[in-house]
Amino acid sequence: MRRFGLAILALVAVFGLYRFFRAGSPAPDAGGGRLVITQRTEPSSFNRLAVPQFGAELVSRLTNGYLIRVNRPTGAIEPALATEWTLADDGMTYTMKLRAAEFSDGTPFTAADVVFTFRALYDPKVASAIASGMKVGDQPIVVRALDERTILLKFPAIYGPGLSILDALPILPKHKLEAALDAGTFAAAWGVTAPLSDFAGLGPFVLGERVAGQHVTLAKNPRYWGKDAAGRPLPYLDAINIEYVPEQNAEMLRLEAGTTDLITDQIRPEDVASLERAKADGKVQLVDAGVSVDPVGLWFNLVPDAPAAKGRAWLQAEELRHAISLAVDRQKIVDTVFLGAAEPIYNPVTRGHAQWFAPDLPHPAHDPARAKALLESIGLKDRNNDGVIDDAGGKTAHLSVITRKGNTILERTMANVQEQLRAIGLTLDVVALERDALLAQFGKGEYDTIYYGAPFSSVDPTVNADLWLSSGAFHFWNPQQTKPATPWEKEIDDLMQQVASTTDMTARVQAFRKVQEVFNAHEPMVFFAAAKVTIAMSSRVTGASPATLQPQVLWKPETLGVGGPIKR
Amino acid sequence: MISFALRRLAGGLVFVALVAASAFVLTHFAPGDATSDLSAIGASADVIGAERARLGLDQPLPQQILRWGRGVVSGNLGVSSQFRRPVGELLIERAGETALLAAAALFVATLVGIPLGVISGATPRHWVARLTGPVSLVLLSCPPLVLSLVLLFLAARTGWLPVEPGRLALPLFALALPLAASLERLQAQAVRDVVAAPDLVAAAARGVPRSRLIWVHAARQSLRPVLGIYGIVIGSLFGGSLVVEMVTAWPGLGRLMYDALRGRDIDLVAGCALAGAVFLAIGNVSADLLRAVVDPRARESQ
Repeated sequence: MRRFGLAILALVAVFGLYRFFRAGSPAPDAGGGRLVITQRTEPSSFNRLAVPQFGAELVSRLTNGYLIRVNRPTGAIEPALATEWTLADDGMTYTMKLRAAEFSDGTPFTAADVVFTFRALYDPKVASAIASGMKVGDQPIVVRALDERTILLKFPAIYGPGLSILDALPILPKHKLEAALDAGTFAAAWGVTAPLSDFAGLGPFVLGERVAGQHVTLAKNPRYWGKDAAGRPLPYLDAINIEYVPEQNAEMLRLEAGTTDLITDQIRPEDVASLERAKADGKVQLVDAGVSVDPVGLWFNLVPDAPAAKGRAWLQAEELRHAISLAVDRQKIVDTVFLGAAEPIYNPVTRGHAQWFAPDLPHPAHDPARAKALLESIGLKDRNNDGVIDDAGGKTAHLSVITRKGNTILERTMANVQEQLRAIGLTLDVVALERDALLAQFGKGEYDTIYYGAPFSSVDPTVNADLWLSSGAFHFWNPQQTKPATPWEKEIDDLMQQVASTTDMTARVQAFRKVQEVFNAHEPMVFFAAAKVTIAMSSRVTGASPATLQPQVLWKPETLGVGGPIKR
Repeated sequence: MISFALRRLAGGLVFVALVAASAFVLTHFAPGDATSDLSAIGASADVIGAERARLGLDQPLPQQILRWGRGVVSGNLGVSSQFRRPVGELLIERAGETALLAAAALFVATLVGIPLGVISGATPRHWVARLTGPVSLVLLSCPPLVLSLVLLFLAARTGWLPVEPGRLALPLFALALPLAASLERLQAQAVRDVVAAPDLVAAAARGVPRSRLIWVHAARQSLRPVLGIYGIVIGSLFGGSLVVEMVTAWPGLGRLMYDALRGRDIDLVAGCALAGAVFLAIGNVSADLLRAVVDPRARESQ
């Protein structure tokens, strides 16, 4: 028995020593170098059409080709697999010329691959989550191959964002995936354990080693078509190592210590101070990429006959929203919650939205006295001189807000708002819930207000129309209406139709400005601050063009490089 | 002895089944489901409906439990909704990692904690005892998250330990240090009790050398109570490894469980709970059996 025990212990010791020194060690840097990035969530599949997950999106962005690419900092549409295109007089039909390129397995890329990708995208059995974003008015884009190098894309209607939506669609290899699509098993194809021989891509990198729970290695695609201005083949890097580190503090420590080059999530304001010290030590570089384009807001339950508003008509009164907007000093939130790394905002369109942002729109000034007067106009006032606002029946007017648990910015912002509203006597009860619990309460309509948001995938408001249109799933305050519940929502719907149905940018921007005016006049959501997006990278990273939209650095992976070896 | 072992094994099996079934049912009652990610990105109701049907989430709960139960009996733990792979396959992939980490941590903790405990218990004025006491207290009172982050910070700054995912050193120390402290405290107390016992006092009076008295007689006798907690320790290793695996990016069951809970991946949550319960049951049953071997009174009292 004792010998058996000793044998087991010896075995454990041998395995332990092996893992202590050897396993998991990435290959040493060579040539163009290896970029090490960390990500919190491991992809559950490499099939971007089937899996709505950032992990899958990132690997897809690095390994697949796209017809066009939206330049993240400028918003311009750049050629990629499509080298040139023309728009017909009907304003709906594009003819695109394709580049001569090869998939990573040597198979030539043709128009048939584009047609196949659209077929997979719209296949009901695939049930792709990105299909809805590739439709116009719920109608698919019709794609036809004119010859091996030319395709014709016909939009169902004139569509303002035009080709920019193609930036989200990876072009897939017909020769590898057609059989799965025909067999109805496409959604299960390209799983994380699929053999590497199943994959072929048009992107700058190809899938390499994958170790579950640890890392995915992407190697340089020697058949990638891209070249730099000097005619040198791209990408510069030999490999990218994506390491999966689920804990954000651990990610930050690794970045500061120089054992990782880049983290894919946004930097928290509380981390900026320590990163500044690391920057002073020459370990990291910090880039101000601009103001966030997906701020969170406080929305009110404006669903008609909502249970929360029963006997509390004031909950859905416009005056309440305006009063809260007036009572909150946004600069105070910027200073105390974001430590200065934010800007006050008054609707969801921030400076990061470039031409869509209207800085001269009038906005409410901090005015607690006017806020109190507005509350009084809907019967909310302090009736017993206890410093707390009561409703018409003499009961304390409680307003509850649900926010996301664990997100320190959201929780601290609400704590700050709670304190500021207390100053005018309004009682705000803050409830922090896990994301799924929050979404469940939202889905059931059982809430007063929610402080949360959804990330925008583009700065173009038409792409994010779900927020503005009364029929949209993200029209948070009263989603998926069959017809607009209020005249002002009807007005926004009509204006958004104007924004969507022309390619004349000046006309689109003017119409969207009016959308914002109507939104501000009714404030179905109250916005407080938008964070400044700080990108942190190790000091050895070169060739990056950081932007506010995801993936902030890796949107242009082929020009990234590294100077010197990573610390290991 | 055989009937005692069989009784303990049967108890262990019932425990494992109860834990796994409870995890399956409780995950159902938690808000959201495996399609929450789709809702969060604004996918259409058709897409969400199709996904719910694919995963069988549109079936009534009793039917889902029945399907899962039948599967478990036949050795099929279901398919992970997020990884689209058999749960059994994922568990095998990750259980080996957790088992390696746990076994290594237990080995190191025993190697460090027991001798230090003997020294502390037998010679409380020795400088080793004076040092280990406070250190053990700090390690015991330090939450696993904080300890893991401190070790990661030190490792990243000094370069003494490798920090990339999949390297054993960091998670090993993060898990082994508090365990060693706990064993040291228990062993020290047990040794203190034993050295005052009449038989050891008599042995000392007979002239048995002090070192033999402590390291052979006292150490052996005092191991009995410490051995008793090994079962609990093995179970706690699984629980403690959740945080350690998160911070140190160790690809074990704890992290898989976290991913499963985040994605409301019901079959995977139940599978991870089952694996965790198996760990705990193995720990408890083997501790009971060991105690029964060392001390026959233990099996008689059962």
